[in-house]
Amino acid sequence: SLVIRGEKDEHAVLCSKDKTYDMKIADTSNMLLFVPGCKTPEELNADPASCNIIHPQIAGFSKNYWELRRCRPKLKKLRKLLMEDPYEGPDSQKDQTSTFSKYTTEDLLNLIQASEEEILHQLQVIDACKIEGYWRILDFDYEMKLLNHVTQLIDSESWPLSKVPLGVCLEELGTLEPREMIEHILLSYGRKYTDDAGEVFFEMREDKICRAIARMLLQNAVKFNLSDFEAVWQQSVPEGMTTRLDQLQGLALVDKNSRPETIFLLKVEDLPEDNQERFNSLFGIQQKWTEVDITPYIQDLCAEKQTVGALLTKYARSSTLNGVKVYNSRRPIS
Amino acid sequence: SSGTGALAQWVLVELQGEVEPRQSGDLAGSLLGDLHYTQEGVPVLIVGHHILYGKVVQLEKPFAVLVKQGGAPQPSPTEPQSHYTVTALIKTKLLFKTRPKPIITHVPKKV
Repeated sequence: SLVIRGEKDEHAVLCSKDKTYDMKIADTSNMLLFVPGCKTPEELNADPASCNIIHPQIAGFSKNYWELRRCRPKLKKLRKLLMEDPYEGPDSQKDQTSTFSKYTTEDLLNLIQASEEEILHQLQVIDACKIEGYWRILDFDYEMKLLNHVTQLIDSESWPLSKVPLGVCLEELGTLEPREMIEHILLSYGRKYTDDAGEVFFEMREDKICRAIARMLLQNAVKFNLSDFEAVWQQSVPEGMTTRLDQLQGLALVDKNSRPETIFLLKVEDLPEDNQERFNSLFGIQQKWTEVDITPYIQDLCAEKQTVGALLTKYARSSTLNGVKVYNSRRPIS
Repeated sequence: SSGTGALAQWVLVELQGEVEPRQSGDLAGSLLGDLHYTQEGVPVLIVGHHILYGKVVQLEKPFAVLVKQGGAPQPSPTEPQSHYTVTALIKTKLLFKTRPKPIITHVPKKV
C-alpha cells in the first residue's frame, strides 16, 4: 500500500515501503475512462473462443491524474525533531520536567515525508536510540562523556582497538552509566562481532572516533589555526589512532585563503535541504570552491542517478584560478 | 499491491472532448457505445451516431489505480490515517483522437 505524507504547509509526497515520490497533478483536456473488463486486440486474438460480445463497465473517468517523480526522502526534519530534546543522560533533570514532544516510530511516520524504510535507516545513520519507546538523539556532550568512559577503559585495560569485549565494558562501566547507553555507544562507534567462543566484541571505528573528537574541539571556537588544531587533535585521540583531515569531510572546512591556514566547523546537516538554497548557503560561506572541497557538502543532494558533476553544472559556474578549476555562484550572492 | 495474487489489469480509453448523456440523465448506468476491433487490431468506437477510429497504445509510464481505504473524509489528528491501495494497473490505452465522423446510414436517393 501507499501512503501520502505531508503537513498542511508541505508539498505532498507519496511513499511506498522504501521509496519517496514527489506528487504533481497533471491535467489533460482529454477524458480518461477506466474500463476494468476491457480486452485488447492481442488478448482477444489469443483466445478466439471468447470472441463474443462482452459487456464491460466503465468504472469511472477523470480529466486529471497524479504524476510521481522519485525524490530524495525529506529527512532533515527528522534530525530537527529529535534535536528538540536531546537525551542528556539519566541524571538530567530535564527529562522529568520536559514539556517537549518525544516521538515514537508512529509519530515519525506521520510527520516525516519519507518511506518507513528510509526513516528507519536514517535513524540508524544518526545513531538515534529508543529510550522508553521514544526515539532520542544523544546530547553531544553526553555522547562524548560515554565515549570517553569507553576509550579510558580500553586504555587502562590495554585492549586492542579491534577487540573490545562487551561483557567487561558493561560490568566496569555499568555503575557509571545505564548499560543500554554503554552498549549504544559501542554500537555507534564500533562494529559488533562474535568470536568463535560466542563472546561479543567491538572493533572500534577509528575514523568515526577521530571525527567526533575533532567536532568536540572545533565547536568551542569560531576557527582554529590549522597546524595548532592538527597537533591538539592528534594528542586528544586514543592511543593507536591516527588523525587525518579527510576524516572531517562534511564536518569541517579548511580555509585555504587565510594566512596561516585555518579550520572551522561546518556541518553538512546544518545546511539547507533544498538544492538551490544549499548552493546559495555554500557560496555565501566561501565564494570559490574546488570540486574536492565542495563534494562532501553536496553529495547528499544527488538524485538516484545524478552525479556531483551534474549538480555543479546546473547550480554553479566554473572558472580556473591559478591552474585549478573552481566553482562559484551563478548569480550574485548578497 | 494487495499481495493476494496478480493485480487486475484495466484498460484506459482516452477521448477528446467531453462525453454527455443523450437525454438529460446521468452518465452512470448509461451505455457509452460499442467498441470493435478491426482485423488489424484497430479499435473502433461507435458513440451515438458517431464513429471514432483510434489506436492501441502501450503506456510508457503505466498508471496505477488507487483506492482510498480507511480514515475519515476529513483527516484529523485523532482519526486513523487513511491508506491508498493499488487496485489495478493500466498498461494499455485506446486513444481516440481523430474527429468523430457521423454515420450516415440512409442516403435518400433523389427522385
